[in-house]
Order: sequence, then structure tokens, then C-alpha cells
Amino acid sequence: MNLGHSRVILLRCVTLVCGICALVVLMSLQPRTASAEMPAFVRIVHASPNIGTADVFLDGTTLLRNFQFGTITNYATIPPGPHKVQIALIGKGIGASVITQVLTVNPGIAYTVAALGTKSNELSLKVFSDNNQLAPGMAKVRVYHLSPGIGSVNVSNGSNVLISSLGYPEASNYLTLSAGAYTFNITAAQSNAALPPISATLKANTVTSLFAVGLVNGTPKIQFVTAQVQGLPGVPQTGSDPNAVPVNSQPLWPWLFGILFLVVIGAAIVIRHQKANM
Amino acid sequence: MRLARLSSFSIAFITTLILCGCGLASASPHPLPHLASPTVHLVISPTPTLSSSPTPARRANPVRLLIPAIGVNAPIEEVGVTSNGNLAVPTQNPWEGVGWYAAGSHPGERGSAVIDGHVDRPGGYPAVFWYLRDLHKGDEVLVTDAHGNTLRFRVTGLAFYSPQDAPVQEIFGNGSGDFLNLITCAGDWIPSQHQTTLRLVVYTSLD
Repeated sequence: MNLGHSRVILLRCVTLVCGICALVVLMSLQPRTASAEMPAFVRIVHASPNIGTADVFLDGTTLLRNFQFGTITNYATIPPGPHKVQIALIGKGIGASVITQVLTVNPGIAYTVAALGTKSNELSLKVFSDNNQLAPGMAKVRVYHLSPGIGSVNVSNGSNVLISSLGYPEASNYLTLSAGAYTFNITAAQSNAALPPISATLKANTVTSLFAVGLVNGTPKIQFVTAQVQGLPGVPQTGSDPNAVPVNSQPLWPWLFGILFLVVIGAAIVIRHQKANM
Repeated sequence: MRLARLSSFSIAFITTLILCGCGLASASPHPLPHLASPTVHLVISPTPTLSSSPTPARRANPVRLLIPAIGVNAPIEEVGVTSNGNLAVPTQNPWEGVGWYAAGSHPGERGSAVIDGHVDRPGGYPAVFWYLRDLHKGDEVLVTDAHGNTLRFRVTGLAFYSPQDAPVQEIFGNGSGDFLNLITCAGDWIPSQHQTTLRLVVYTSLD
């Protein structure tokens, strides 16, 4: 009975070990995707007419000093997950923050965070997910309507309406345009009032962001801030068909030459033997 | 006489067979080894950096890549993007050379420089990055530029991704350090897609 019991225990142990091994193998075969170790990418645009030059704090530590209205940072890397973001007037300290907001960011993703609002009770941060993958040979453009008080806007180039009824505070879809110099005309959708046009040179394989910030009636006056980044390509195809004809196989002509040479030699020997026997 | 004729042709025939046999043997494809476990060790500084400092003068273009641990000593050519938007691969020396994404960062500049290379060649023979998966954290990667200057990078991590899930912002757009990322293919060949199932990215950072 003891022997039988030992066998059962042994069988269970073997089964457990096999199961663990199978699990380990299965897990090892899974490709790695975005993980908690990979950072998120965040840039910040100061689009709040009511906040002067400011300091920005991330999780209680200074992220950015002397952040002026109408400016946009480069992308910074921060760990994924929730973060407490605070904005205070320059030099006032974190205790005098006018915006305190928790933002959650995901690994490997790029974000644009806009500081918005005209009144103290409207100040907030708005988060946009960015897509900086390039359009091959073309230019990508996105318009961020961050100018309060004018309602929705239309964006056109010449007679072509590119974006219709873009509300505040929203971002358009990405437009794919041929590379070149453009003048974008912005009009208020309701009043049809024209805003100052934006001129931008769009390079191939880049992603351009056009931010409308400021006030049409008031200060700071409306302005357009442009940020252009190199578009991101996809990963390359660096493998080869294992069943294809090998490119490094040696050419046939040396072998053919060798065979021909041997045949000639053989024939010569035969002829010589024939002559010798005649 | 008949015997001599027969022996002569026999010699020629046997020699021919031997030669042909040698040729065939050299053309037989090497089986692809099983991929090692996709162990991941990514070390990325979490420190936020919002640099607005002026861009320094550009470095000379990289011309040679050396990875002593796996015996890579490869010429570097500039590559762009393909018509479908992917990073292009080297064409001047497709199997022994590597391609540097010239529209991105230079190796040693702030940002993520990227170099790609084939893992194998048609028929399954090893290409320049065949042994890239054998690198380990801390291994040395050297890049020599056109002025003869050599930069030393250290491997900080390896990661396998499916092509559609590759974190391109991380691979090409991480500006928080001086990175050099090496890319090649991995996994199994998918004939219908004419590509492999995975991509291997080796992350390195300037020493």
C-alpha cells in the first residue's frame, strides 16, 4: 500500500513538473509587447490664456520650469500609469497650483497634454493620444483647436475644406497631404469670421501639429503654434524565405567547366589507348 | 582497350559525381535554430527630460558596426523607408551589411539611432544579424563614423515583438538618451505574408 501511495505521489509530482515546464515554454513563446517597463511619451502645450508663465510638477517634483503660454515641449518619457500633474504660476511653488489633475498614461504611447481654461474654475488638462507613424512619402497634419470663445472652426487650403466643424478643445484627425508649402485658412464655423491664416512647410515623412491658442477677442491674442516631428517608420522586414534558392550557392559554370575538362581528358586517354593498341 | 576506355570514363564519371555532390552539399540550407526564450531586460531611465537646448552640430555619418560578442564587423549604409512605410533594408551589401536610418538620429546623438540588418538570406543561410539574439545586457556595440571616431554602446535589453505591435515610438522616437537600437527578424517565416512572425530589437545606450 505504501508502495502504491508513493507511486501516486510520484505521478502527481511528475505531472506537476510537466505542467510547470509546459507553462514556462508557452510563456517563453509569447512575443513581448508593451510592458510596464516601457515609458510613455508626453509633451505639454501651454494653451491656457489665464495662466501666465508657469511651473509644471509631476508626482510632486518639478518637471518643467518657466513654461510660457503658447509653447510646446518635446516629448518626455515618463513611467506608465497614473501621475499627479500640477501647474502653478512661476515661482509660486507646488502649494499654489492652479491645476491639479491625475493623468494615466500607457506604455509606448505618445500623448499631447494641453493646459486649458480661461477662468480659475475651468482650468484643466486635456489629453490627446498621438500617432506619429509616418505616411510614406507624404506629410501628416493634425490641428488642435485650443482657442476658447470662437466655437467650432473650419480649416481649408485654397478652396479645399480640409477640416469641418472642429470644436473646442478638440483635435482633428490626421490629414495626409503631399509635401510642400501650405497656407491654411481658419474660419469660425458659425460666424464665418476669418482668423489669421497659418503658413507651414510640410516635409515628407513628418508629422506636423498645428495648435490654435489664445483669444480672438482678448489677450493673449490668438496665435498658431507649429510643432513638426519626424514620422516613425514601421519595423523592417529583415528575414528571407528559407525555401528560396540560396543566393550564396556557388555558380554552376566552374562545375560545368570541370566536367567538360574531365570528359576531354577521358576522351584523350581513350584515344591514346586506341592508338597504342592499333 | 575496352577496359581502358571503360576505366577512363569511370574515372571521369565518378569524379563528376563527387564534384556534383560537393556542390549540392554546399547548397543545402542550414536549418534555422530554435529561438531562445524572449527574455526581456529593458532598462530605461524614467527621468523626465524636457530639453530645449540647441541642437549640437551633427556627427559624421556612421560607416561601420562592430559587435565583438557575436563577431559582427559590418559596413553601414544609409537607408530610408519603403513604399509601405517600413524601415528599408540595406541593398548595397544586403547580407553582410547593415542599414542606418538616416532620417533619424545619428549614433551618439540625443535620441534613438536605428540600425537594421538581415537575420538570414534566401535559403536560410545566416546573414549579418544571425547571432543578434545571443547578445546580453552589457555587451559592447561599437560604431565608427566617417571621421574614424568610434562610439561605444552597451546593450541594455532585448525584446521580441510582432511587427504590428512593435512600439515604434520607443524604438525610433525615444529622445530621453543617446540610444542605438538594432533590429532584425525573428520567429517563423510566413510564406503568405513574406515575412517572419517577430522582430528582435536590441536596445543599447551610449557608454
